[in-house]
Amino acid sequence: MIYSLLVLSSPASGHGARHAVQFARSALQRGHTIDRVFFLDDGTFAGSAAAVFPQDEASPLQCWVELSERHALELILCVSSALKRGLLDAGEAQRHERCGPTIHPAFVISGLGQLVDAMTHCDRLVTFGG
Amino acid sequence: MSVILHTLNASPASGAFDDCLRAITADDALLLLGDGVYAAMAHSRAWERLRACGAPLYVLRADASAAGVLPLLEEIEVVDMDGFVALTERYPRQLAWY
Repeated sequence: MIYSLLVLSSPASGHGARHAVQFARSALQRGHTIDRVFFLDDGTFAGSAAAVFPQDEASPLQCWVELSERHALELILCVSSALKRGLLDAGEAQRHERCGPTIHPAFVISGLGQLVDAMTHCDRLVTFGG
Repeated sequence: MSVILHTLNASPASGAFDDCLRAITADDALLLLGDGVYAAMAHSRAWERLRACGAPLYVLRADASAAGVLPLLEEIEVVDMDGFVALTERYPRQLAWY
């Protein structure tokens, strides 16, 4: 089946962001396809290139980057959520005259339409909050 | 209307817990994860309310273990992340409460 994931929680607190990574791994192992992971609200912190996690904790950023490289899943940060949190790609940094990009290049900044599009094309949408 | 997999990642003291119990029907299923696993403690008030909803109950093993409630479970099926995915295969729609 084709899955899309919606991640609403920050990797810095709560459980939702961790659940999303682990769910993605398990779904792929079970032979499913994940076409898109959409990060909204505090979920967009997942794309921060500057976040540093302790060595004894799995780095959520690294987990998503590896999954996207291995399984070609799209990692999309909601544009309005991301910009408010200082999460910018090179284009947004230039447009808003900031010193440079702050997200990892594996992530793409785009609009809510990408979530709606994913919802219409996937068999399952699974949401992770809290 | 198709049946729903409810996922509850909120403490039994939260509004989300009450809202989830108001929305769920006996045809649905409920997976407790994150802070939701505390509702799985057998003979607690939350556990009694969960059993009364009539839906099959599941709890995520890693979170129940981390919260220390794994030895306190009764009449709830313990699943790992693979089991969570399997539940989403069986239930076409999911509602996340948090």
